[in-house]
Amino acid sequence: MTTYPGTGPVIHDPSTLPVDDNVNAYTFCVELKGSEWFLQKGKMIAYYGSMEFNGIGHGRLDRLVRTSFHSPLHASDWVVASGSGKMLLADRAFDVNSFDLEEGNLTIRSGNLLAFQPSLALKQSIVPGFLTLIGTGKFVAASNGPVVFMEPPIRVDPQALVGWADCPSPCHHYDHGYMTGLMGGLRALTGMGGASGEEHQFEFVGAGTVLLQSSEALMAEQAAGAVPHEPGVPGGGGAPGHQGQQAGAPRLPGQLGDLQRRFGL
Amino acid sequence: MPFREINSKMIEATVMPGQRLFSQRGAMLAYKGEVSFTPNMQGGQGGLMSMIGRRVADEATPLMTVEGSGTVLFGHGGHHIQVISLTGETLYVEADRLLAFDGTLEQGTMFMGSQGGVMGMVRGQMTGQGLFTTTLKGHGSVAVMAHGGVIEVPISPQRPVHVDPQAYVAHHGDVRNKLSSALGLRDLVGRGSGEAFQLELSGSGAVYVQASEEKL
Repeated sequence: MTTYPGTGPVIHDPSTLPVDDNVNAYTFCVELKGSEWFLQKGKMIAYYGSMEFNGIGHGRLDRLVRTSFHSPLHASDWVVASGSGKMLLADRAFDVNSFDLEEGNLTIRSGNLLAFQPSLALKQSIVPGFLTLIGTGKFVAASNGPVVFMEPPIRVDPQALVGWADCPSPCHHYDHGYMTGLMGGLRALTGMGGASGEEHQFEFVGAGTVLLQSSEALMAEQAAGAVPHEPGVPGGGGAPGHQGQQAGAPRLPGQLGDLQRRFGL
Repeated sequence: MPFREINSKMIEATVMPGQRLFSQRGAMLAYKGEVSFTPNMQGGQGGLMSMIGRRVADEATPLMTVEGSGTVLFGHGGHHIQVISLTGETLYVEADRLLAFDGTLEQGTMFMGSQGGVMGMVRGQMTGQGLFTTTLKGHGSVAVMAHGGVIEVPISPQRPVHVDPQAYVAHHGDVRNKLSSALGLRDLVGRGSGEAFQLELSGSGAVYVQASEEKL
């Protein structure tokens, strides 16, 4: 069994495992020395040493949760690892990478975030399904294929978006050129010709970085928690006159939705 | 129009005014600049007859035309991508494996029977590729999807190449293919090697093989 010509399989032991670095493209090693890490449930595949994994909500961890976990409604998806030793993280053979934040902010799709240091504060993003990390520290994220960093201005397929850093203005972009005119009307009426699948993107402008994954295969959505039902909270359903989506018709990613109605077709 | 490989699962294409390219619908990941994506009713080039031809041959994959000026990133389904540059020869590939290709390439449909006779047809049925396949001819680049990485195996007249039909991706050049079967008594009693059918490619050219036996 050889992996590549000339190299045999690499055998690791606790002293040769990297410290807070990738073992290979699909596995990440975290070293704990009396410190703590937040990780998503079920992403630990092996560990050396003595570690404890505690669900969030234990009395002992209250303080830690108070300072660095601000997403109380999906606390049940996360555990805190504490103790000393080395721990391996992986997620369904997706590529795993670590990112360092220095007094920064980064918003990431909730399903892609695997683990983070408690020196970072995790908060729910205003954009549904995304989480924001603020502060200084390291976090580990999974992606389908290596993560590609792009500078705005850029328009991104919703399914290829992993996250963004320092961009204040993610917004929806609809390409309505294809829906208007004679051919567009014909298409809308007959359904013939179909949609290109590219009539809706996320648009980013301004200074910052946009993170893309190289495929459109989505990671399983992690519940990012519901938002409080208050007036003025997007998605909260508290605003008067806000109809929301029709019940019983869940919107698929990439689906046109009521775009046709919006253009009066 | 060259495709630049960003990593094994993503390519970048530069679109310039007056040039167009075709890509599979929904395969755009991101773009910069003013680029338009138009669903292509004909499923590629040519007029109505080519469209009907493709529909009949079941090689009518949903394509879109990409025009404008800017750069576009393509990728699809987490599949590996292989960029193949053609300099006048013909590439034979299944339509659903096409991720993107130059608008300058000449697109056509080929009947399997015309390459290998009856066995060609049998081969198409056996490998699940159907009786027809798509051809691309001319000068330009093609981005082809595969499950797992892709290796290019050269074919020379003295050295025919045997390929597992499920791992076959595409081939180009002056190549004849036939399905060679090694069915024996053992297969009948369920003690076969699992490699009873192989695709034998001979001539001169190259075949692209994926490191997986999974279909797209």
